[in-house]
Amino acid sequence: MTVTEHRNSSPRILQLPSLALLGAALLLGACASQTPAPIEERDAVDQQVRTPAKEQSAGVQVYPLKNPAVKELTEQADQAEARGDLDQAAVLLERALRIQPRDPELLQHMAEVQLQRGQYEQALNFATRSHDIGPRVGELCARNWRTMSLAQERLGEPRAAGQAMDRAEQCMVTRPQGL
Amino acid sequence: MSPGIHANHGKEPMSPPKKAGGKKKTGRKTASSPRKRPAKSKATRGKAARRPPGRLRRLLGRGLRLGLLLAGLGLGLLIPWLFWLDHLVTSEFEGRKWDLPSRVYARPLELYEGLALDPLGLERELSAAGYRRVDRAEREGTWSGSGGRYEIFRRAFRFDDGPQQALKIRLELGGGQVTGLSSPVGGGALGLVRLDPAEIASIYPLHDEDRTLVALADVPELLLTGLQSVEDRNFKHHHGVDPRGIARAAWANLRAGGAVQGGSTLTQQLVKNYYLSNERTLPRKVNEALMALILEWRYDKAEILEAYLNEVFLGQQGSHAIHGFGRASQYYFGLPLEQIEPHQVALLVGMVKGASLYHPRRNPERAKARRNQVLDSFAETGLLSAQQASAYKARPLDVTPDAGFSGNRYPAFLDLVRDQLQRDYKEADLRSEGLRIFTTLAPSEQAAAEEAVRQGMRDLAARGLPAELQAALVLAAVDTGEVRALVGDRDPAARGFNRALNARRQVGSVIKPLVYLAALEHPERFSWLSRVEDEPISLRQADGSLWSPENYDRRSHGEVSLLEALAQSYNQATVRLGMNVGLPAFTGKLEQLGVDRTIPEVPATLLGAVELTPLEVAQVYQSLAAGGFSVPLRAVTAVQTPRGDALARYPLRLRPLERRDAVAVLNYGLTQVVETGTAKALPGLLGSQATIAGKTGTTNDRRDSWFVGYTRDRLGVAWVGLDDNRPAGVTGSNAALHVWARLFRGLPLNPVSLDLPEGAGWSWVDPVDGSLSDEACDGAVQMPFVAGSEPTANSRCLARREGEEESFWSRFLDRD
Repeated sequence: MTVTEHRNSSPRILQLPSLALLGAALLLGACASQTPAPIEERDAVDQQVRTPAKEQSAGVQVYPLKNPAVKELTEQADQAEARGDLDQAAVLLERALRIQPRDPELLQHMAEVQLQRGQYEQALNFATRSHDIGPRVGELCARNWRTMSLAQERLGEPRAAGQAMDRAEQCMVTRPQGL
Repeated sequence: MSPGIHANHGKEPMSPPKKAGGKKKTGRKTASSPRKRPAKSKATRGKAARRPPGRLRRLLGRGLRLGLLLAGLGLGLLIPWLFWLDHLVTSEFEGRKWDLPSRVYARPLELYEGLALDPLGLERELSAAGYRRVDRAEREGTWSGSGGRYEIFRRAFRFDDGPQQALKIRLELGGGQVTGLSSPVGGGALGLVRLDPAEIASIYPLHDEDRTLVALADVPELLLTGLQSVEDRNFKHHHGVDPRGIARAAWANLRAGGAVQGGSTLTQQLVKNYYLSNERTLPRKVNEALMALILEWRYDKAEILEAYLNEVFLGQQGSHAIHGFGRASQYYFGLPLEQIEPHQVALLVGMVKGASLYHPRRNPERAKARRNQVLDSFAETGLLSAQQASAYKARPLDVTPDAGFSGNRYPAFLDLVRDQLQRDYKEADLRSEGLRIFTTLAPSEQAAAEEAVRQGMRDLAARGLPAELQAALVLAAVDTGEVRALVGDRDPAARGFNRALNARRQVGSVIKPLVYLAALEHPERFSWLSRVEDEPISLRQADGSLWSPENYDRRSHGEVSLLEALAQSYNQATVRLGMNVGLPAFTGKLEQLGVDRTIPEVPATLLGAVELTPLEVAQVYQSLAAGGFSVPLRAVTAVQTPRGDALARYPLRLRPLERRDAVAVLNYGLTQVVETGTAKALPGLLGSQATIAGKTGTTNDRRDSWFVGYTRDRLGVAWVGLDDNRPAGVTGSNAALHVWARLFRGLPLNPVSLDLPEGAGWSWVDPVDGSLSDEACDGAVQMPFVAGSEPTANSRCLARREGEEESFWSRFLDRD
């Protein structure tokens, strides 16, 4: 007898729960949701993106006032990141981006978390978005390009990585048009 | 074997008539032979009894032996028979017991200071999430207040990113936004409060069936006790069959002069419901009784009662049977079972006896009489006081007039959820029962969209457009691609053909911006100021015939700028530009922007001779509205197993287009469509001057009306037309634009972002002669250009000013 699936909700027989299937689903789900971040990527973000960008900019920084909700979520994301729960950090940043989708700082934060998760293409894309709508000068600009550079390197694009690093250097030197 | 499916001569069908073509369980029909055995033996015995008495002794002896033989035979048959019945009823019971549907949640409302929210929006969100309005919010799931000051008692909820505690909050609204958010305890300000989401449906992800299953713990006490008092008073104590109950029911019926109570136990009724037959033959009754005994032996009372509550037949909605109290409560009262009142409980309990006989919408008189009879019975058994019972008897039936709102309230959006689940998840995963599905639907925006379609269609009919016009509406968040609302029919509650997802219609001028985008990607050749001829043009088509597009107003406008040609939607200019840029460049754009169909490379596609669904159109424009960062439109954000493990997430993934400079410049052009072009009625309709980008679309002979428009954060696509594709007398600006405006009038109108990425910049120009100008010059406008496409010639005004400046400096320097 087959499982009947039709609209007037007549009885279905033989819909015994397949615990085996459920188990498999749980296992698969668990695999899908956990991409353990390589430790070196966490260090890379600190040592090659955040710290140098901060030093380089030496205080040339203007941030707009942050929405309190976004502030709360980014703080929680920072905590998740600090304890190594990068998936949770990404989920929290996504929530924040729902509230303020065009916050360049937030987009860059997401890029850095994606980099640590080994999601290089998304790291590149979020950093690009941040740069497109961001100040294109100062610390954030340097973080944008340094993230793009690292991501390109990991994606096997050394030339693009080199160019991005050059752009990171220029964030302090030239002021792009419109500013 | 079992009760076969026979003609139904019973007084009232417990179960629905089967839909023609529905699968019948033919396997069950076969084994009718065992039933004949007892009948045969009876006949044999009868014959033996008529033998003459002289041989009585011998015959008695023989009879005894025969009897023993038959008894042995009977027992030998009975035991396998019982095993068989056990197998049947157990697999049926187990199969359903586990068949919990998946729960679907709307996006949760995130409250924070500065959030755009008005009292109507708040009320819609709270009501969708099942919050009850009370005088003082002292229990989870209630709210109080008005006029901008509210208290909300948030429920605890397990989100995809972790559990969240119940919380009492104080909320202030003013000027269309949240102005205060704090804790009533201590009064401290709160940065962010996420409400528990509305549960918008329970679905089976793999097929289209609705049930609203209830757990015993969620069922109102009065329903549990009342049901037993009316249907099976001895339920707690019997073993599946209740001889005393039968006697008592017979007595009660005799006294009342009609059938008031039934003799079947709840367990027997449950078995009867499983086998969809109302046959009242003795063997059938015996089988039923045996199965009831088996169920009672195998399962405890709570399990049986829960199964009963979810299984009992309580009416018919078209081809759908209404099974279970949860679903019935939604169907008749539009309320979850937890929220119905005693007189409504009584109605449902009364309907068990005859769901169509006492159907409250079809037979309100009879239904009320039956309900009152049940209320009396409640009073008689002490479940209600006599006073309460008579108060409730005075109440109306309180059923909703319209059955359309039953169950899943968002049929169109749920189609999208199902599509995406089936596309993106493994079937095996979707088979697990009781998944928790988190979606992007915003109940308040969905309500606004439904209202916009209803009102909009009424307006159009009043203006003399065909009454059978159809409509579709898609609303999405610009940057995340999350679908916030979806309407697929002029009656948003209707199930069936979902035009937003499935109606492939010619898109007409809605496609034109891609022609201009392809042009703007060549800054060495084109800018908004470039000139193009709006003059008749004839192109040879593949079949050899000539194609000569005309303009909407059947006039040609001579040499115009690209900006004018787009804003006014000139056909001839657009075709000339498209042929100049090249058809492959144009069809390539469609592909880049997420259209997953083969687009024929013929000139007519430049004017939208391409069939797309409203959702596909929304996908194309999402990429534009988000500044060239394409994200797939999505309705599902996460799926969890009942235990809270994540099945998979749909994370936000960006795909940047290469030429985002050109996209940003194009967006400016689309704001001019609204400011000066074919959609210039929009600010008036909206009552707002906020900068909005959009494009109208009309197809040949006015068959389709499109409007696509976006603000900074919301993208909307509206379509109006006739299902059979007849000319409908509609244009982009006379029909779809109105529906769109009705929707966006109820949404925050944040002006479109015109920030330019690297590679594009603003210049002051003289649009008349296409020269560089200056802010101080008459008629100068600021306009974006892809780097390298700015005009090189100075306007006369600019030249003069520069001359003046020069002479100032020369005079200054010459002073000495």
